[in-house]
Amino acid sequence: MFKALRQKFRRKQGAPLVIVSGLPRSGTSMMMKMLEAGGIPIMTDSERGADIDNPKGYFEYERIKDLEKETDKSYIRQGRGEALKVISFLIKDLPDDNDYRVIFMRRDLSEVITSQNKMIDRLGTTDASAEEEAMKEAYRNDIVRTRLLCKARPNFELIEVHYKATIEDAIGTASKVNAFLGGHLDEAAMRAAVDGSLYRNRASS
Amino acid sequence: MFGSTKIKLDQDLFDRIRKVADVAGYATTEEFVVHVLEKEMLHFEDAGSDDDIRDKLKGLGYIS
Repeated sequence: MFKALRQKFRRKQGAPLVIVSGLPRSGTSMMMKMLEAGGIPIMTDSERGADIDNPKGYFEYERIKDLEKETDKSYIRQGRGEALKVISFLIKDLPDDNDYRVIFMRRDLSEVITSQNKMIDRLGTTDASAEEEAMKEAYRNDIVRTRLLCKARPNFELIEVHYKATIEDAIGTASKVNAFLGGHLDEAAMRAAVDGSLYRNRASS
Repeated sequence: MFGSTKIKLDQDLFDRIRKVADVAGYATTEEFVVHVLEKEMLHFEDAGSDDDIRDKLKGLGYIS
């Protein structure tokens, strides 16, 4: 039944929006760079420039930060056929008048939190959030909620891509993502966009 | 009344659950399992932990 509903959405809503999602510091910018290299237009205003935390840029659309609060979300339609970065926490706030293909980035939670803490230190912003273990639990729940939500909404399709696996086998990830998005992307260019030297916060194994 | 569904559990796990349920004073093992699962489901179904995430995301500049 879901398949039929999905097909109906596709006919009605036109080209799907490719959403790159996940926790901050889980490899979302790397995936955006891969998609850009592969030939997908990026929905970005380039407001947030490259810095030491993301030397190749953030590929963000500034207005998305207000997605939870804004009532008029019609601007998102402009991104049909393009790739848009939306952190997992805000997936629930995407409007239902688009068809979405979600590439959900996964990374070891210790690495994510270490990288986030370093970024917060560099930004000099305050961090009133919980201790690491509580934060991990909150993030685990966020991930499960996002998965459940994408399964429950007929206009969402999701694949998971692991950051470490992409660093180790970029062509494998390029192939998987290309298949998910219809098979028209330049996989070699996607692979070349992966820079393993940016994998700086590694969990001890 | 209400329907029910059976779930298969590893025997060793079930024995451990039964012991804990007994010590904790649950009337039946089933009552204990249902209680634990309902409590666990709340983590995923409600947004209780959203404040921690919201604070972190604000600090990182991902939400306003």
